[in-house]
Amino acid sequence: MKEKSILHVPLLSPAWKKVAFLFFPLPVLLVIGMALVQMEISPDDSAQIIYGFWAIGFGILNLSREKEEDEMIKSFRLQAFQTGFYWLIWGLGALMMINYLRFGRITSEIFSAYLVLFLLNAYIYGAFQYQKYMCNKD
Amino acid sequence: MKNTIKVERARHNLTQQDLAEKVQVSRQTINSIEAGKYVPSTVLALKISKVFGIALEEIFELEEGD
Repeated sequence: MKEKSILHVPLLSPAWKKVAFLFFPLPVLLVIGMALVQMEISPDDSAQIIYGFWAIGFGILNLSREKEEDEMIKSFRLQAFQTGFYWLIWGLGALMMINYLRFGRITSEIFSAYLVLFLLNAYIYGAFQYQKYMCNKD
Repeated sequence: MKNTIKVERARHNLTQQDLAEKVQVSRQTINSIEAGKYVPSTVLALKISKVFGIALEEIFELEEGD
């Protein structure tokens, strides 16, 4: 059965996972490096740099093919995207609630596109790995 | 959904890996189907029944709650 081309999502080769893992320590080293050379950067900006890099890392992991990308893995992937989005909504709701209880308002400087993308991709990755773990568990 | 893949495999002297290769999925997928953790698509179910040369209903059976 042929898929409609406009809906088809091309996945990256599994080798990209190695590249993705580089994005996790890189921003931490970058922020430390910027602090060492005494660049003026606010803690909020540092956090955004880290969220941005981690979002890209998780994004690459989520869009990389498994070694054996069969229909079960495809179904896990679809479920992971749905579950990840669901967890994101609850996660953001929880962050807003915490912010409201602590500072009396639901908005905060830390809420940014980088944070949302990082959380979304992290949740998707978590949901995908959880399904694979449950499937391999006896 | 219950299935008799394990029984049919034994009858045809096939390992999970052999069956996986015949229907072009991973061994983990066959293992998950046998354990009832994953319900295969119609296409995969038909491929499995074709390997064993028996009707789909003889391999897969609906359970209460399905």
